[in-house]
Amino acid sequence: MNISTAFAPPFKLVAPFFVLGVMFFLISILLMFGSNLETLHYLNSSTLAWVHIFLLSFVMLIILGAMAQLVPVVLEVGHCAVDLYYAIYPLVIVGTTLMAFGFYSLPILLPFGGTAIFIAMSIFLIETFLTILKVKKINFIIGTIIISNIFLLLGLIVGIVLALNHSGIISVDSFKLLKAHIFLVFFGYVGTTIMSMSLILLPMFWLSHSFSWLYVKSAFYILCSSIISMLIFSFLNINIFEMISYILCIISLLLYFVQIFVIYKKRVRVEVDIYFKSMVFSYFSLIISLIFLITYLFYENDNLLISASWLILVGFIGFLIAGHLYKIVPFLVWYERFSMFVGKKQVPMLNDLIPKKSSNFQFIMSSIGIIIVTIGLLTNISEIYKSGLCFLTIGVIFLLKDILYMANIKEESYVF
Amino acid sequence: MYSKEEIFSAVSTVIDPEVGFNLVEMGLIYDASCNEKMEVLVTMTLSTKACPLHQLIIQWVEEAVLKELPEVTLASVDLVWEPVWNISMAQDHVKQKLGAF
Repeated sequence: MNISTAFAPPFKLVAPFFVLGVMFFLISILLMFGSNLETLHYLNSSTLAWVHIFLLSFVMLIILGAMAQLVPVVLEVGHCAVDLYYAIYPLVIVGTTLMAFGFYSLPILLPFGGTAIFIAMSIFLIETFLTILKVKKINFIIGTIIISNIFLLLGLIVGIVLALNHSGIISVDSFKLLKAHIFLVFFGYVGTTIMSMSLILLPMFWLSHSFSWLYVKSAFYILCSSIISMLIFSFLNINIFEMISYILCIISLLLYFVQIFVIYKKRVRVEVDIYFKSMVFSYFSLIISLIFLITYLFYENDNLLISASWLILVGFIGFLIAGHLYKIVPFLVWYERFSMFVGKKQVPMLNDLIPKKSSNFQFIMSSIGIIIVTIGLLTNISEIYKSGLCFLTIGVIFLLKDILYMANIKEESYVF
Repeated sequence: MYSKEEIFSAVSTVIDPEVGFNLVEMGLIYDASCNEKMEVLVTMTLSTKACPLHQLIIQWVEEAVLKELPEVTLASVDLVWEPVWNISMAQDHVKQKLGAF
């Protein structure tokens, strides 16, 4: 193993991904105040606009920024052309903005926004695939990166076709394509990336050792089967196989949860810091959303589906990202501004760079917000839903404040 | 020639910034030796193969040996993954702090 910190991208390259990502997280939460619970549906244009803002400019932007850092660690080789990342975030922001306006009021903007996103993601994919070509031996984690990136490419192509259809340029069965797009991008890329990166990051931060990867490997293969069967059978209109795809997807997420529990049980480090709390809340949200999804398969109550989607997006992925930001940003800042003083001067520990009171307040407000919004969505009571959003907004404002604080820490304040 | 204990003492000045303990307390230093040419070889591991500070930690260990033991002419690290590190290799106060007890 020959991981070099020299392969790490400069902080000024990855910082905009994290700062802009959290800014758009805040914007997406503020936009939720305008949602009407009566018309909340996954085919509603406003919902589609919100989902794209949340997933592209928050989730994807932060995943791409994190991958800039993680790709050399996982592949054990340097980036092929890391400077290409400078072009990615402006294109994602422009593309998402155009797509949001396209969904809200001007459908003709959708292909333009979609093209900007497609170019941004293509840059990322080409850079990653060229970097993978430098790898001599493909292990399980690298295999997951290859497969997830292929899913992303296919999902982007389907997305462009959907954008052309939505703006009226071409005419296709958008319902079938929408399922393929969701499965390819959300489960195929975001889901598998979270699965594989958890195997690197959780044991590293929790100091977990000697655990079996059986559950996550099974979860990964089952999720891939679910995506492929959804692609094939949704086009063939064979409903029973579509149902099997949904069930496989739920089984995969349950197995992933079991794997996380195994890592959690094997952890050495039991410190209850902001990372640990965020992870516990995140996986708690995942399991509750899975319970909602399983219940939905039997009762088909739309409130259950919307609540489950909310919990997976903001409760699970949102907290997973927030928790990791409190680890990744201090590490990058420490590495760039303090590591050179080790052995020469007194330097702070990574933990010293985290604003503890503020991060705890952020966690409390955000978690209360998630719980209240979920109750509002389940009961379909707008007042409860919006009061939860108030808590969440305060939480996300503090998250943004903390990220900006950590990103701007200067050597003079800590090195003596 | 420097003894194993002296080399361990020199390496103990290197602290893992993530957990806040030095490498010797963590049980990451497996062995150390010094030959007649005053060349020091430290055999060590890391708590995880995916440690992004991998090469930097090796550099810190070499620099610490050269700084703390002035007669050393060359310091190098042999990074090994066998036996795999686990918390039982850490000193008791580290286990206590991390919650392994």
